[in-house]
Amino acid sequence: MDIATATITDLADAIAHKRVSAREVTGACLDRAAKCEPALHAFLELFEREAMDQAGAIDERVARHEHPGPLAGVPIALKDNICLSWGRTTCGSRMLERYRSPYTATAAQRLIDAGAVVIGKTNMDEFAMGSSCENSAFGPTRNPWDLSRVPGGSSGGSAAAVAAGVVPGALGSDTGGSIRQPAGFCGVVGLKPTYGRVSRYGLVAYASSLDQIGPLTRSVRDAALLTQVMAGADAHDATSSQRAMPDLLAGLEEGVNRLNIGVPRIARSDSNHAAVNEAMARAAVALSDEGAVVREVDLPHAGHGIAAYYLVATAEASSNLARFDGVRYGRRAELGPGDGLDELYRRSRAEGLGPEVQRRIMLGTHALSSGYYDAYYNTALKVRRLIRRDFDAAFESCDALLLPASPGPAFRLGEKTSDPLALYLEDVYTVGVNLAGLPAVTLRAGAASLDGRELPVGVQLVGPAWREERLLRIARMLERALPPVAVAPV
Amino acid sequence: MIRSVELIVGMEVHVELATRSKMFSRAPSPAHPEVYARHGVPGHPGLEPNTLIDPVVLALPGALPVMNLAAVELSMMVGLALGCTIAPFSKWDRKSYFYADLPKNYQISQYDLPLCFDGSVMLPPIGPDGRIDFEALARGADLSTGPRGPQSGTGRGGRAVGIIRAHLEEDAGKLLHEPPGGGPGDGLSYADYNRAGTPLLEIVTQPDFRSADECVVFSQMLRNICRFLGASEGVMQRGHMRFEPNINCVLTLDDGRTVRTPVVEVKNLNSFKSLRAAIEFELREQPRRWEQDRVEFAPGTKTTRGWDDVKLETFVQREKEEAHDYRYFPDPDLPPVVVRDEWRRRVAERVPELPLDRARRYIADFALSPKEAAAITDERDDCLFYEAVIDAAVLRGVERSRAGRVAANFVLHNGQKRANERTRALGATGEPVLVSALGITPAQVAGIIALRESGKLSAAGADELFGLLCSAEPVAQGFAYQTPGRGGSEAPNADPEQVATRRGLIIVVDEAALDAWCDAAIAAEPASVAAFREGNVAALGRIVGAAMKLAAGKADAKAVRERLERKLSKG
Repeated sequence: MDIATATITDLADAIAHKRVSAREVTGACLDRAAKCEPALHAFLELFEREAMDQAGAIDERVARHEHPGPLAGVPIALKDNICLSWGRTTCGSRMLERYRSPYTATAAQRLIDAGAVVIGKTNMDEFAMGSSCENSAFGPTRNPWDLSRVPGGSSGGSAAAVAAGVVPGALGSDTGGSIRQPAGFCGVVGLKPTYGRVSRYGLVAYASSLDQIGPLTRSVRDAALLTQVMAGADAHDATSSQRAMPDLLAGLEEGVNRLNIGVPRIARSDSNHAAVNEAMARAAVALSDEGAVVREVDLPHAGHGIAAYYLVATAEASSNLARFDGVRYGRRAELGPGDGLDELYRRSRAEGLGPEVQRRIMLGTHALSSGYYDAYYNTALKVRRLIRRDFDAAFESCDALLLPASPGPAFRLGEKTSDPLALYLEDVYTVGVNLAGLPAVTLRAGAASLDGRELPVGVQLVGPAWREERLLRIARMLERALPPVAVAPV
Repeated sequence: MIRSVELIVGMEVHVELATRSKMFSRAPSPAHPEVYARHGVPGHPGLEPNTLIDPVVLALPGALPVMNLAAVELSMMVGLALGCTIAPFSKWDRKSYFYADLPKNYQISQYDLPLCFDGSVMLPPIGPDGRIDFEALARGADLSTGPRGPQSGTGRGGRAVGIIRAHLEEDAGKLLHEPPGGGPGDGLSYADYNRAGTPLLEIVTQPDFRSADECVVFSQMLRNICRFLGASEGVMQRGHMRFEPNINCVLTLDDGRTVRTPVVEVKNLNSFKSLRAAIEFELREQPRRWEQDRVEFAPGTKTTRGWDDVKLETFVQREKEEAHDYRYFPDPDLPPVVVRDEWRRRVAERVPELPLDRARRYIADFALSPKEAAAITDERDDCLFYEAVIDAAVLRGVERSRAGRVAANFVLHNGQKRANERTRALGATGEPVLVSALGITPAQVAGIIALRESGKLSAAGADELFGLLCSAEPVAQGFAYQTPGRGGSEAPNADPEQVATRRGLIIVVDEAALDAWCDAAIAAEPASVAAFREGNVAALGRIVGAAMKLAAGKADAKAVRERLERKLSKG
């Protein structure tokens, strides 16, 4: 069994049936990490000892014929904004460089309880603000398909780790595309569940009404499996839904009859990279071949998505990040004689928070300030409602929408760092989904040949709220119809 | 040149709710009655700093608030008791400002849609001593109606005041600027987040108050209402209530012109005494200030002042109303609060009869004096104890109005006497021991009442029996009487009649013995006998006393008196 290409489903089965031990699998992943890390920098921390201990405990349970759980011994990685009660939880920020969480996020705990082994924490744009992983205070992660390119962001470390065959699955978080865009850049499957499906308790908040934890995996089935384990109500998160999660795996292979797929008109932008349009066409043809009716639909307000998103997200972020003040934890600036509390705040935040984070805090603070609230924040909320309505209308005639995961394949490091606005436009196909709270999944549908390297190109399928079960069936249909996903040649 | 001064005050009152856990987290709340027993340090009066905390209270990364339903229901009960409408839809907003006692650097509050709004509550008539005039209250009309608003105000209560809103929020922590436990200042500040996140109900009234007395009586009444609802313990020393009066004056000048002085908000008053003093100080100062600076009421002239409890004066905290931008916006972590009729009705059913209504009923139905009614309704637990005694006595065949009358005597005399003794024994630091915490149960008191009513127990015997049925140690307060105390001279829940019989307290109706005690008393008190025969009726008391002493509690004073009268008039 090649652990670098194996799926979670296969690994858990092999471990539970003693064809391979959890310690062997975890050891292989840690070896692979050691080999890839110097080039990739996908991880901010690796838990060699803890992971081997966890794997050993799984092997003991298997030896005692206890049920080790559906994820028995499966190595996973967590984006570093997901709290874990060991190691550090830095959010890619100097502010939390040495921060240790005393508790574990609900979503992570559910995976661990199901037998998953956490081998490390992955790199990310600071506080999940960015689309390239270049905003990490600890240096960027590189795309395993081309080390001169970014893996996308903000869950770039998780996407790179899965694509490079270090782990079969990882958790990311998606506020405006932070799972789906890097999944596209790295050629893996990335699912953002419906808002409220997975508990946010222990996910360090960027924008509370948009954030959602989701999996990055090598197959649709694995994404379904991780989501199945994580999903469900949590008494620690008042926004987590009480709805029961239907069985995502049972009917996954059955496909959907009389499938209607909508392709929003905005997806056909001239500014898309040609390879993106090719991938879209390939996906559309593949679904048609499976019997789907593919037609164009209109999302009239989609063009305002970026503007609405960057107001709602920054407004919430300005408030969510106010707690990083140097008083109770995190970076505290050295003060001189006579310096007071205001100086402590100013200096700790100036030293601890990077430029993009500071920019978004200032944008959000301005959007919420008296005199501007109606013009900015309130207007953004109105646009948000209109965008949600657009999707509702589209879903009256469609089972899912097909969209690019991003306007182009992975760009080069430094290519967009000088122009924040250009980087914000990376999110044009993803933010609407967050504003509407919908589930969406990215998978590889094509490739772009750039500088003599082959780069994956992703498309996303968007479904109605709470219909992950159906969305993943459709995604599985598409996955079957497309060539299998390879491990990146690091 | 100022001919007269009229005071105008609107009140903001913060009440810490007595829920077990905090407003948005599972950490224990410092305002819960059992917090000291469960989380305190034995032998120390307070709580160790930073012990009532969890990731939510400390605003650790990734922690999320979850609404405490009990706090919302208690707030609804207070709102209903204040005649408020309960909002069918209210929500949580973030109020942003940076301060080291505020872990998230925003406070979760309710900005434009409070849980309770638009209420009205009857302010009772106030006597010349500045307290509720229970006699006038007993004479007065139904408390739920009455003239509303300041125009009818004389500053002596007896009318309705408006409640603008009552909304829920979370309290902040505390900053100490000297080392914990005293010692010389080290220039550092210490943060204690025990209080952070405590549910806080903020009640805002219309500017309907016309005297410091009215503000104080309103605040005391509010405290008592909260205590009867179980919404708050209302222990002022623990900061369960804080008052912020908004004060200004209407000055009538010699030429008949009137001017209004700028509003002064006095922050964080935590006793009735300082509330009264701060208002009276501003009433004196504001005309003087106006004479100096001629600044009149206008938008932007409001100032915020603090209260110096030593100098007994207010001092400026914030000059002018600074354009403080709190950047309120709806908290995306918390769903809105939707109150459907059915829920509201269920909560309304839990609102008990309020203390002033009870006082009026006791005066009318049980012929209690206004003073007695006031005393009994002053402590919720004792008042509920009292009512439980009445119910139990009625079950034993005592007529209800009689039971109400007699039960009051037992609570206020036999009970209160012992409660006071125990309070004194605890010394200055102890909290007052309540009658309801003596360890005697309402059923036992009712048993004593029944014995007494049937003439089987003398007054002295009843008092002795009461004492025997109390436990040696006060039982934990708070509905304590529901579980009988231990360690007394009698077993918990002992039957009063059996104890009285065993202890020889049951009155002997032995005619011969009665005759013997009376004859002996007559023989022992020749001077009193002579005086009585000469018409000095009071002298009989001494002879009765002598006979009772001989009977050692086994005789009924009334029977002895009648027997003696008969014997002496015959002779």
